[in-house]
Amino acid sequence: MPIQINKSFKGKELPPFTVTVERGKIKEFARAIGDSSPFYLDDAVGRASQWGDIIAPPTFAATFRDESYDSGAFLRELGTEVSRLLHGEQEFEHRKPIRPGDTLLCRTRVVDIYEKTGRSGPMAFVLREMTVTDQANDIVAAVRHTTVIRL
Amino acid sequence: MKYARVYFEDVEVGHALPPLVKGPIAQIQLTRYAGASGDFNPIHQDEAFARAAGMGGVFAHGMLSMGFVAQAVTDWLGVGTVQKIGVRFAGLVRLEDVITCRGTVVAKRAAKEHEEQNLVELELWAENQKGEKVVTGRATAALLSRG
Repeated sequence: MPIQINKSFKGKELPPFTVTVERGKIKEFARAIGDSSPFYLDDAVGRASQWGDIIAPPTFAATFRDESYDSGAFLRELGTEVSRLLHGEQEFEHRKPIRPGDTLLCRTRVVDIYEKTGRSGPMAFVLREMTVTDQANDIVAAVRHTTVIRL
Repeated sequence: MKYARVYFEDVEVGHALPPLVKGPIAQIQLTRYAGASGDFNPIHQDEAFARAAGMGGVFAHGMLSMGFVAQAVTDWLGVGTVQKIGVRFAGLVRLEDVITCRGTVVAKRAAKEHEEQNLVELELWAENQKGEKVVTGRATAALLSRG
């Protein structure tokens, strides 16, 4: 008996949150991937670069999360749990570089929820889009995330 | 010359991205990525949890593989050039897997007006040691002109 996914989240906004980009976090993230580019790791190279500081790798915005938000509660309200999740698709669109000290506003919308039966059985897809803006209210990045729930 | 600047004129449709080989994937790298990214899903850390979830054991964060693919692009075209990158996670990456990131240039679009940028479109994928695709995707990079 497959689980039932609560589709009432479709179109809803999740609570907005802000993140302040930490220098050490950029370096930790680049090192975790095994990317040793000095544009991520070396402050002197960053200062001499066109950006005036180190910048974050292309997938860094995946670290932006709302620490005060209970993601377990979101999953329960959706009708699922973490062990059923797979990451289906991910996309980043960048307009401005992400630098240490940037304070960024992250707004997430649940764009779509739909079900489909694939090779490995029935699955639900939850597409979320996060828009990241800076203090000048310019769009820095758009992040699209498709979660697959094994039903 | 790993970080030499690549200009728009240096890249042609059909050019292959220099392959980037990562791995063998070790548990410690998944633990490190969990800490760096804040994704502590136990399915990437805890063998018993992953088996009980029906996944046959731990597997890597999709986002780690996406990080590898993005690095393959920036190693070649330069940090700060990626305007857009999107992937589909086509298969699981397991411990001990060796991941090779590959890609080809599928389109070029020269800036027409002063404000525009020269864009290069890439098809990307990552495969394991058996040649199975674990990630497929596309990226758009903005490159400077020599002129």
